[in-house]
Amino acid sequence: MSIPLSYNLRSLFVRKSATALTVLGIGATVAIFAGVLALQQGFVTMLSGKGREDVAVFLRPGATGETDSQFRRDLGLKLIKQTPEIEQGPGGPLASMECYFAALKPRMDGGSVNVPMRGVQPTTFEIREGEIRIVEGRNFTPGADEVIVGRKLTDRIQNCRVGDVLQLNTTPYKVVGVFDHDGGFASEVWGDLDRFLATLDRYGPNRVIAKLSPGTVIGDPEAEGGAAPGSLSARLADDTEVPAKVMSEKQFLLSQTRMLGGVLSFLGLALASVMGIGAVLTAINTMLAAISARTSEIGILLSIGYRPFPIFIAFFLESIVLCLLGGVAGCLMALPFNGIETGTMNGNTFSEVAFAFRVDAQVLTQAVIFSLVLGVLGGLWPALRACRMTPTQALRRA
Amino acid sequence: MFKLVFKNLISHPIRSGITAVSVGVALFLICLLTSIVTTLQSGLEAASATRLVVMSSISLFVDIPLSYQERIAKVDGIKNIVKWQWFGGYYQDQKNFFAQFAVDPDRMFEVYPEVKVDEATKQKFLTQRNACIVGSQLAAEFPEWVETGKIPITGALFPHPSGAAWDFELAGVYRSEAANFDNRTLFFRWDLFEETLKGEGEAPGVGVYVMNVEPGADIERMRAEIEGMFENGPATVRCDTESEFTRQFISMLGDIPMFLSWIGAGVLVAILLGAINAMLMAGREQTHDVGILKALGFTDGAAFGLLITQSLILCVFGGVLGIALAAALEAPITLALGAQFPGFFIKDSTYLAAAAVSLVVGLAAGAVPAWTALRVNCVEALRAKGA
Repeated sequence: MSIPLSYNLRSLFVRKSATALTVLGIGATVAIFAGVLALQQGFVTMLSGKGREDVAVFLRPGATGETDSQFRRDLGLKLIKQTPEIEQGPGGPLASMECYFAALKPRMDGGSVNVPMRGVQPTTFEIREGEIRIVEGRNFTPGADEVIVGRKLTDRIQNCRVGDVLQLNTTPYKVVGVFDHDGGFASEVWGDLDRFLATLDRYGPNRVIAKLSPGTVIGDPEAEGGAAPGSLSARLADDTEVPAKVMSEKQFLLSQTRMLGGVLSFLGLALASVMGIGAVLTAINTMLAAISARTSEIGILLSIGYRPFPIFIAFFLESIVLCLLGGVAGCLMALPFNGIETGTMNGNTFSEVAFAFRVDAQVLTQAVIFSLVLGVLGGLWPALRACRMTPTQALRRA
Repeated sequence: MFKLVFKNLISHPIRSGITAVSVGVALFLICLLTSIVTTLQSGLEAASATRLVVMSSISLFVDIPLSYQERIAKVDGIKNIVKWQWFGGYYQDQKNFFAQFAVDPDRMFEVYPEVKVDEATKQKFLTQRNACIVGSQLAAEFPEWVETGKIPITGALFPHPSGAAWDFELAGVYRSEAANFDNRTLFFRWDLFEETLKGEGEAPGVGVYVMNVEPGADIERMRAEIEGMFENGPATVRCDTESEFTRQFISMLGDIPMFLSWIGAGVLVAILLGAINAMLMAGREQTHDVGILKALGFTDGAAFGLLITQSLILCVFGGVLGIALAAALEAPITLALGAQFPGFFIKDSTYLAAAAVSLVVGLAAGAVPAWTALRVNCVEALRAKGA
């Protein structure tokens, strides 16, 4: 026969202060765990969730990202011309050369950060039809010293509002518009490729992007054993004139976020395990006290014929309920962080990425599972102790 | 009296042990989190205010012309000038991340006296074109370099014209005693870099110029002069003291230090609640004892002291445990954080702060039940069921 759960629930309620302190303590642990998860979730959804499968990114062979890739301008053009997989638009192939660098700019709240700058060609906007939305002002005029800034920068970085001027080397660039994007571009500044190259005194773009005809197999150059034979990636890797490393934009973003994503996962895991030890110990303490205060009750239960197993289950469940309450408290503490925007340096590009905490169903589920694990680990041993008592021992000790 | 405190702690060995250990774990974590922040700051503190760094006014991503070196060197008050160029390569696998720079070998040791090498290493680095020096931490990570003396680096940013890796020969290991100069970098010679890349498209520019200045030189004037010299291009520059330059890097980390503080605060709240909980339990059980003490004529203060002392002992014990754990694990953690975060170390003041935190937690946790014990009426206390 099992002991009704209400017995345990009531005893949790009777020991109000101990229950509340334990719940809050475990809650604080779970909240921090959820906070780090939310940070990682925000980062990952912002970047890797948005890459397109039909857009290919061409880098120089051996490059690990945009910053260490470079093409000579004529070779970039040749690459576009020689790749029949690129879809044709009304004005020619849907491909665009882009340059990428960072500019150190002062933040609104002091200090300065590297803001990613991207020089693009008009076709970029054809490829990104619907993805890039001008939300204020207008787009820049090709060939002019004008830029548009990502929406996430306007409140974080100085001189990023429409009408302001961003100085780059000896050239003043006028901010003429603000654009939005669901992914990482919303924390970049965009301008004309050739104007940016002239400002930097550089000869060529960092990468080429192109929309591919449906059905093209891109392949993954970073896959084990190289890209699949016959894929675009495999063919261009060995091209004699313009070799290139090609991957889908989705794949590219995944590879770019691996480092920061990995750091955040590691941080979450390390914190969860160390803080988890503390939380489990608190739970054990509370359960031991709860059990020792009820030794006589356990004696009575045993002497009226309850088997040890139901007693074990009862106290085990009590611990789980206690920690689940802590988990719920922790989720409640973490919820207010949802949507708060923040920024940090992406180790892959050394420039800032802005993203928001994302406390979504996945994060909350993981947080509750974490609290469940705490409850299991914290309740196991005390419950075992409780059910191992003999009736006489238990009654006498009371 | 003290014996009673001790007996009470011993009478619940499991609870006492668990409380102390959980305080210890929390303080261990606080030590680590604090050290991440202080390690960042120590780079700032150690950075010299008498060294100047010239970089592009746009950002470190943008090179400045090679021809600037001679012009900057002529500025009154400059002692030595060394150029640095980020090489951005990797050893065997992209995951083996560490910094490599092309530098002027002869100037390097003049500008950075805190970077120590033995004489043989220095001579080899100064005379052999493909020689390089690596930091002691890096040499420990890749012992095969020291064994073979060869370090092949794939140039991701600057591919070798042959298509193969760049072959550097290890001249020796440097050791830096300054917190702002890590031991996880490879330096090779600028002349090799420049000549290898000759004819390969754009000639490489310079990342930064670092200068040390004559004692007593007017730094503000020099900065203004250098920035003014290139005001009209082709590349405008900014000239900062090394400490300002370092501060840039820290502010690039954005909100990370703030997050760490939040996490630390959460950990603190969690242990405080846990400790209060444990002490409340102890307090409840000892109400009867307190009654006896008071009946025997002990003062209210003694009753107060009974509980607060227990709490203090537990938390201080936990604190010692946490600090010992942090001290014992410092070396492996430094190694594990190597790539992302070179130079991690725990400051003595962090240990002191952790000790202070454990005292405060002990006082706070003990105060709640001790206050109850102070006020409780002796008759009422005696009526309470003892443990």
